[in-house]
Amino acid sequence: MLDLQTGGTEPVVRLLNVTKRIGNRTIIDNLTFDVPPGEVFGFLGPNGSGKTTTIRMMVGLMRMTSGEILIRGRSIRTEYEAAVRQVGAIVENPEMYKYLTGYQNLLHYARMIPGIPRKRIDEVVELVGLTARIHDKVKTYSLGMRQRLGVAQAILHRPALLILDEPTNGLDPAGIRELRDYLRHLAKHEGTTVFVSSHLLSEMELMCDRVAIIQAGKLIDVRLIHGGAENGGKAEVLFEVDRPDAAAEALGGAVLRAESGGIVVSAGREEAADINARLVAAGVRVYGIRTVTKSLEDQFLEVTGGGRIG
Amino acid sequence: MVDFIRLIRNENMKIYRRLRTWIMFAIMLIIPLGISLGAMALEADPDMWFFSYLEAEVVLSLITIFAVIIAADSVAGEFSTGTIKLLLIRPWSRSKILLSKYVSLLLFMLFFTVSLLLFTLLVNGVLFGSNGEYTYPNQGSRSYIVYLLSYYGLNLIQIIVTVTMAFMISTVFRSSALAIGLSIFLLLGGNMMAALLSLLDKPWVDYVLFMNYGLSTYVSGGTPIPDRPFGFSLAVLAGYYVIFIALSWCVFRRRDVAA
Repeated sequence: MLDLQTGGTEPVVRLLNVTKRIGNRTIIDNLTFDVPPGEVFGFLGPNGSGKTTTIRMMVGLMRMTSGEILIRGRSIRTEYEAAVRQVGAIVENPEMYKYLTGYQNLLHYARMIPGIPRKRIDEVVELVGLTARIHDKVKTYSLGMRQRLGVAQAILHRPALLILDEPTNGLDPAGIRELRDYLRHLAKHEGTTVFVSSHLLSEMELMCDRVAIIQAGKLIDVRLIHGGAENGGKAEVLFEVDRPDAAAEALGGAVLRAESGGIVVSAGREEAADINARLVAAGVRVYGIRTVTKSLEDQFLEVTGGGRIG
Repeated sequence: MVDFIRLIRNENMKIYRRLRTWIMFAIMLIIPLGISLGAMALEADPDMWFFSYLEAEVVLSLITIFAVIIAADSVAGEFSTGTIKLLLIRPWSRSKILLSKYVSLLLFMLFFTVSLLLFTLLVNGVLFGSNGEYTYPNQGSRSYIVYLLSYYGLNLIQIIVTVTMAFMISTVFRSSALAIGLSIFLLLGGNMMAALLSLLDKPWVDYVLFMNYGLSTYVSGGTPIPDRPFGFSLAVLAGYYVIFIALSWCVFRRRDVAA
């Protein structure tokens, strides 16, 4: 289980009432949340919900209409250079200079931040596994290789915060797996806070410690993943029975809801066995017992109301 | 300062690591070479100073076009390929990033112009030498090289204004095609417009940018606008220059990058 350092440590990113209006359309509406250090933080929302706009504001590519974004306490508006120095990012696709080699691209970004020795470039190239092709022109790279080069430029200066916008776009399953492992490694062993946006729910579930969900520019919810233990080991359990009404009556108020062909209760492992005994004693026939696991996808669709484009 | 030089080196890398730059360079050298070789076959008694001047006229307009292409692509190209996003999220203010682009552009122009000057002098010197009889129009007591350098210098001022205009269009409209097209159109159409406008007897005509082009006529004793002093044209060009620069920086600093 992960050590979630929620109390006591300063958030790496703080969004305070961030609002973006273009014309009279409100793209981002009063967004407020904190990103705790050392976590992989997911930013989830359907297409067009404002994820990329938020990221653009976090790195200073777009201005906020109102509100404030702090990166390790530095304002992206008033102390841009100090704030952005701590950030490495890929915004949308990792677009590189195609007529330059991978190495020249990295050299380009390395020159923009003082104190990056050539050795560090080699190290990063090794890390993302591009050593064999780094001196080839980027136009000969596959999408996966460009994505790797994108990660390489983002981590060159060992940023405290790594922002990746839809990082799994265009990656094959092996590439996604590798990226996931690598991000987890960065967060766990190097203390880098990773902020990833995605509309791929299953992906986020595997990658993140915590997920903020936005829709139509509004924050819907921030929740922990792997958070099952929070309910004291209880889960929703479905009992398939012949007479749901009679079963509900037998259990009193413990029933969460009755469905066709069964009832759902909140119960731990032992309780489930007890409930089963009570049902049988009440003359209800039990055909099956199973826990109803709610995936992030269900939760997501539930909170966003089916994911209509906002 | 040292750090800023690193930004300029980046911009230089983006100019000189492209094949197109060296194709332009080759074209720029081949044309005067061709003229000189042709002259050697046709002319009875060619003179190096005459041909250096003649070829300068041709190739300076080529340099204008090449520099406009580089200027037009400088900012707009980063937007159209999306690389602008990764360029701007570094600990550098947008003004300085734009300045590094502009400086590298001026360096490119200077590099091409100086190469051309040296190249034509070398080629014509080797092929023809000076016959000692030819003099430039209104040369007076000036030496050949001073006269030629003044000609280059005056043209360079004009090229800087044109290139800055292309840079401004590139920054404001984020479209390389528009920046190249509009700049070249204005460059070619400018002469025609100037000819037409000069027929009008209105005071504002003298303040039109292209009426004040042709600074290099000063070297032979003329001015761009016949009844205005040379300083007037220089001041008008300076005024346009300041506007182009101010527009570029204002827009680039404030723009939301949504490419």
